[in-house]
Amino acid sequence: MSAQLSDARPMLTIEDLTVSYHRVPAIHHLGLNLDAGHCVGLFGPNGAGKSTLLKAVAGLLPAETGRIQIEGKELSKAAPLIAYLPQRESVDWDFPVTVQGLVEMGRYHHVSLLGSFTKRDEEAVRQSLELFNLHPLAKRQIKELSGGQQQRAFLARAWAQEADLYLLDEPFAGLDRTSAESLATALRTLKERGKLLLVSHHALAEAEALFDTAILLNGELIAYGPTPETLSPIHLECAYGTAVFSGEHHNHSRS
Amino acid sequence: MSSLIQLFHSLCEPFDYAFMQRALLSCALLGFTNGFLGTFIILRRQALLADALSHSLLPGLAVAAMIVGLSPGGLLLGGLMAALLVALGGQLMARNSRLKDETAVASLYIIAFALGIVLIRFARVKIDLTHFLFGNILGLANGDLWIAYGAATLTLSLLVLFQRPLLLVLFDAAVARASGINVGWIETGLLALTVLGLVASLQAVGVLLSLGLLILPAATAYLLTNSFTRMLWSGAFLGMVSAVGGLMLSFFANIPSGPCIVLLLALFLGSAYLFSPRYGVVSRALKGRHFHEESLERWEGHQGHDHQVPGTDFKH
Repeated sequence: MSAQLSDARPMLTIEDLTVSYHRVPAIHHLGLNLDAGHCVGLFGPNGAGKSTLLKAVAGLLPAETGRIQIEGKELSKAAPLIAYLPQRESVDWDFPVTVQGLVEMGRYHHVSLLGSFTKRDEEAVRQSLELFNLHPLAKRQIKELSGGQQQRAFLARAWAQEADLYLLDEPFAGLDRTSAESLATALRTLKERGKLLLVSHHALAEAEALFDTAILLNGELIAYGPTPETLSPIHLECAYGTAVFSGEHHNHSRS
Repeated sequence: MSSLIQLFHSLCEPFDYAFMQRALLSCALLGFTNGFLGTFIILRRQALLADALSHSLLPGLAVAAMIVGLSPGGLLLGGLMAALLVALGGQLMARNSRLKDETAVASLYIIAFALGIVLIRFARVKIDLTHFLFGNILGLANGDLWIAYGAATLTLSLLVLFQRPLLLVLFDAAVARASGINVGWIETGLLALTVLGLVASLQAVGVLLSLGLLILPAATAYLLTNSFTRMLWSGAFLGMVSAVGGLMLSFFANIPSGPCIVLLLALFLGSAYLFSPRYGVVSRALKGRHFHEESLERWEGHQGHDHQVPGTDFKH
């Protein structure tokens, strides 16, 4: 199952992707093309493969079948273009790093092992802090931020890295209203600047306000396209009403 | 005046002896290297793994002593092999069975330790278990010294060279992997360097106290700073100062040097735990229950939002 949203070369191409844990597929023969400048919500019940898809695109899980390309490059060569934002509970918030230090980490790819930061690197760090409204907080340790500020700090690091594809795993989980709003604003900023954002999300309620495009998963691709059409009652019934992965049983030949 | 000169002379006394000069130099180098390495161990939460590894050096040393005798190079290699086998064996067991990695490593290291004590009885040369456990910094032979210098220098230069990728991996391994860093290599390399650092300090301070040199300076620095780089270098500096200071103390007070060094480090850790400006227990208690200025600042920042309830977004 595959569809095309526009004629231009897509930023993210997924063809026939299957990813399995212990031989049980979490994502099954999935095909997608996504263009730059979109904020894409990833929806589906628990176990539908939302996190799995994000991790596969981040190169953290091997593909059993199919391939992933970013801007026409194979995944292994596209690492600097990808920013994977960790789930909040996987971060050690006591780590001795300030907001500034976190954003500087994004520049390490652009600097040699022992090389010092050039004017350009410092400028990139400064711009990232400003874009996400973090410059007054630059000297704060990362635990001394509110939830929304913490998410913005990680987005600023990705911006400093000059990533084009942002992968966010449940970034709104556990955020209060104010924090969620500030994160939504930050995502909009990135979208307007031509980045592609792929965001897994739990609540369907505010989906249309946050995402222009939606992907509905249930082990397999149920629907994808503009948010209102994708999250139609029929599609939702299909995703949430049936058991996860209801496809026919068959074997993959080893490649 | 003359008493001052006398004090000065007696303070310089340790430097007159060749054995003390050598011991002081190795203390400075080992203290610095271990203090630097400690930051990585602590941020990776592997303090107890390092402890386990230090104990698992024993069978390797025993086997090496049986085969090549008490040559420093052989002992180094033996210890290195044994500790790496325990570390990698632990990972392998954890991956292939239900056992979690800390259970697997703990089982393996204590088995290795027992095996080592048995093997020592069969070594033709006599290995003094006391020296192994507590070190013998004043009796260091030239070979031991060169091994210690070489291992410490190698460890330090590799850590300095790879500190940026190491930082990325320590902070978040998944994100580092996604950004194209070979996390497996970095983690294995850090493990190997930990063992190398332990072996380097083994002859000087022994199995039981080598962990102190590794963990205490970095733990102290962790309580004092929010900068990774500053934590690295201040841990190293603190390790060096304490190792040298502890050795001097032990000379004048005529008590064993290993415990002296560790207790001096403990003094620094205790002070940081209590009085660190930001994270000290006493300092925080004295500051009062919340930061009025910060609360005010956030409250004003939120005035534009309608549903913000004061007090819900504050962090302490």
